[in-house]
Amino acid sequence: MASINLNRAISLPVRLPRLFRTTPFRLMLFFLAVFAGAASAFLAYVYLVTAGQVYGSADARVARETADLKAIYAAHGFVGLNRAVIERSSGDRPMLYLLMKPSGQPVSGSIGASPVKSFSGDRTWASFTLTQPGENGAMVHRAARGEEIRLVGGERLFVGADIGEAESYVGKVLRAVWGAGALIVLLGVAGGVLVSRNVSRSIAGLSAVIDAARNGDMAVRARVRGAGDEYDELAAGLNDMLDRLDKSIGGLRHAGDAIAHDLRSPLTRLRARLEAGLVEVEAGRADPKAALHQAVDDADGVLRTFNAVLAIARLESATALPSTSAFDPAALAESVAELYEPVCEDKGIDFALEAASGLTLTAHRDFVAQALANLLDNAVKYTPPGGAIVLRARRRSSGDIEFSITDTGPGIPEEDRGRVEQRFVRLENSRSQPGVGLGLSLVAAVARAHKGRLEFDEGPGAVDGMGPGLRAALVFPGAV
Amino acid sequence: MNLLIVEDDLQAAKAMMISLTEAGHLCSSAGDGAEGLATARDGHFDVLIVDRMMPKMDGVAMVETLRREGDGTPVLFLSALGEIDDRVAGLKAGADDYLVKPYALAELLARVEALARRRETGSVQTLLKVGDLEMDLIGRQVRRAGQEIDLQPREFQLLEFLMRHGGQSVTRTMLLEKVWEYHFDPQTNVIDVHISRLRGKIDKGFDRAMLQTVRGAGYRLEA
Repeated sequence: MASINLNRAISLPVRLPRLFRTTPFRLMLFFLAVFAGAASAFLAYVYLVTAGQVYGSADARVARETADLKAIYAAHGFVGLNRAVIERSSGDRPMLYLLMKPSGQPVSGSIGASPVKSFSGDRTWASFTLTQPGENGAMVHRAARGEEIRLVGGERLFVGADIGEAESYVGKVLRAVWGAGALIVLLGVAGGVLVSRNVSRSIAGLSAVIDAARNGDMAVRARVRGAGDEYDELAAGLNDMLDRLDKSIGGLRHAGDAIAHDLRSPLTRLRARLEAGLVEVEAGRADPKAALHQAVDDADGVLRTFNAVLAIARLESATALPSTSAFDPAALAESVAELYEPVCEDKGIDFALEAASGLTLTAHRDFVAQALANLLDNAVKYTPPGGAIVLRARRRSSGDIEFSITDTGPGIPEEDRGRVEQRFVRLENSRSQPGVGLGLSLVAAVARAHKGRLEFDEGPGAVDGMGPGLRAALVFPGAV
Repeated sequence: MNLLIVEDDLQAAKAMMISLTEAGHLCSSAGDGAEGLATARDGHFDVLIVDRMMPKMDGVAMVETLRREGDGTPVLFLSALGEIDDRVAGLKAGADDYLVKPYALAELLARVEALARRRETGSVQTLLKVGDLEMDLIGRQVRRAGQEIDLQPREFQLLEFLMRHGGQSVTRTMLLEKVWEYHFDPQTNVIDVHISRLRGKIDKGFDRAMLQTVRGAGYRLEA
């Protein structure tokens, strides 16, 4: 509940559609703004240059014509100028002329009145609209520009240029600029929406998986589309994380179940024994000391089971093994062999060690030692007197480092080999032997924690009424 | 011996006191780290038994403080954390030994006595002597009643440990930890077989057996 309230508190007052709140859409808007800004600047520049060019050339024509007429005025006086204006006004030139008296009264020219409304000083520029009857009789409005000057004799002369063509060109440029702008925005928004929806859909798939996992569905997995893009990478990473989490949770749950299951019976037994002992002692029939000794032994058994199950669970739920170190497998094998050699000799078992030198293994030394000890415990337990046990440490041709223990005991039937690694599994012929069925589970857990494996094979075969024997190999991946 | 038990679990502390007092030791107790630190500063104890996780001040902080103050009293850590890394952290803090809960009281007693002994014989010894058994640590020679005994290297180490703790009970777990440096319990009686081999070498031909089995605890080398 709290998280939902928090969400509301930080969200925008106006709820936008989900799509517009996505990161890609916002990014797209940002880039669109940047791009539109740059495009506007560019188009404005184009417009200014074009318009400047058009008006500049009109102004230059007007100035040239004015200078021309002024020269005529200087040479031939007002009459000469008047004649020139009349002559030019009737010509084909796209220019406008108006010669006025100092009072502003028109004398001659192609237009009736000066477009310059308030004439001051010696020259005044003006932009105006020329209204003329067109070819089909309708009135046509055209842009024009011109200047009015005062001549030496006080008369006024207006010279203008029809810039209708140029103006319409600039207008087209302007329209093109606006059109391009609109197109940019439209395409940008459409592209942004498309990209955002695409990204949103990919993300939504991952979000759905995370939501499902959060709600306890650990079997859910994200779809990897095979495109090899970053979404696939993310999906694969998410799946891997879920796999590990699932395995870890499963391991813990299994360990919990196993502890509950297997501690219940010895605890019940312990309790029953204590109660029975209490009754017997109260009745004066039994020795309290013996009852207590028995109870302590039972409690020790419960603790051993508990420790073994816990060690396995820790190994299985650990994502990375702490305290690994590089050591010589031969030295470890030697040290473990040294520990077990006397007990073999006592039982009349021939024990041999074959350790290749010069190898290095990076692993949790204590756990590997314990795994070897468990395998040797089993070998010693099941090999009859007169048999043999060989402990080997060597490097396989694949580069893997292998500890193997071969005995001449009864071995494990092939169909049971997969089963013996499971917790509390005890094969029929082992019921008479002490143990709770956790030894090989621990060895397998040690192997798995090192990304290695535990392999079982038939031993040297049946000889002298013994065998076929067992070859148990603890294999660690070689250094990469 | 004068012992201080610093443990917040009063039931566990009581059981320890009964068993240690029974063994002839004088026990004081403290219920948390702060109290333990104050008591340890005041009294003269031979060994401190300290629970690692306690309210107010945990065992690690308490021992670190004592060590900073120059107090070198041997410390035995009791902890529910049994991983190698936890042991290393405990020993780094200044503890001398580390016992993982749950423990047998016989194991606790043996370790406490071993710690106290270690302190007594703090100086470097070159000759160990228990009864008529002599061990020359430099010449790597063992003699009983002047008669030379030939030992394998591991047997020598095993006997050395037993002689250093002559007259005390040592447990199988202690031997496995201190002589072989393994922190697990094998299912088979490997230690017993090593002991019986050693016994065959040092006791054979003598009318008195020195290497005794202590029921429910382990072994003891008697003078």
